[in-house]
Amino acid sequence: MLTRQRLKELLIAELMLDLKATDIGDDTPLFGPSGVGLDSVDALQLVVMLEKHYGFKMADQEQAKQVLQSVDSIAQAVEGAKAAA
Amino acid sequence: MPRNILITGANGALGLAIAEFFLSHEPEAIVHLGVRERRERAAALAERSEGRARLVTLEITDPEAWKVAIEQIGSVDVLVNNAGFHEDALLANMKSDQWSRVLDGNLGSVFHGCQAVMPGMMRQRGGRIVNIASLSAIHPPAGQTNYAAAKAGVVGLTKSLAKEAARMGITVNAVLPGYIEGGLPQEWSEEHLKALKMQLPMRRFARPAEVAAAVFFLASPEASYITGTALPIDGGMI
Repeated sequence: MLTRQRLKELLIAELMLDLKATDIGDDTPLFGPSGVGLDSVDALQLVVMLEKHYGFKMADQEQAKQVLQSVDSIAQAVEGAKAAA
Repeated sequence: MPRNILITGANGALGLAIAEFFLSHEPEAIVHLGVRERRERAAALAERSEGRARLVTLEITDPEAWKVAIEQIGSVDVLVNNAGFHEDALLANMKSDQWSRVLDGNLGSVFHGCQAVMPGMMRQRGGRIVNIASLSAIHPPAGQTNYAAAKAGVVGLTKSLAKEAARMGITVNAVLPGYIEGGLPQEWSEEHLKALKMQLPMRRFARPAEVAAAVFFLASPEASYITGTALPIDGGMI
């Protein structure tokens, strides 16, 4: 089961963020100045992280853009892919 | 875990010296010697290494060849992009294929190599890439518009990729050797070499092992906070 909490912890550890899991809301935008402030290098790492930890593969950059918006959108995509499998 | 080291251009004087340096200073490492048709010296090293140095056939300008080589090795922990060559000519006389061959062989090949090893290094969240550029990148002589541009390109690539890879525990650095013993054009006369040495602060060329030592350090776990550097190894020339 993929919990939002676990995903946030993973995100913080993998991207070396100086944050606590409680600092990131489920729907906080991950990219851009109004959110966590991740950049394109982080996005690449997130793609690798999701594949490594959850076996979730992005089809293309467009999908990555949709999926990586927030913790919620990531969790939904990964759970959706698992349910479909 | 023993590290897998891949060195391109491993049949040349510098490539061999780098391979030997790893073999003697990192006893557990497996050293993969990237070679093309000319491989006799690398083969001799592999022969006497008791299985610790292995030949890998690698056409460095071909992305597919890189894929095959990486699959054969498994995971690469250290990539040393050492292969390179020059075809000097004054710009006025330079043929366009001399330009493209030198750009492709010295710069395109580094791009393909980095692209081939990055996915594995990203998955293992660690790795070392050391690109052998040249002093020509920042201090080019006449007759090397192609080579100097390619090597300056390698420095630019190194610095940009260093930023992309930093958070993943992967460092990317370049070394910029000046004149190296055994790496000089064979057609240069004894007199010319003597005159050249007179102009150098140390009055001698670099020994290949002196360049290899810097490569080994940049590839070591201890060099973990050094990335994006372009280190001249020139005996004080500049």
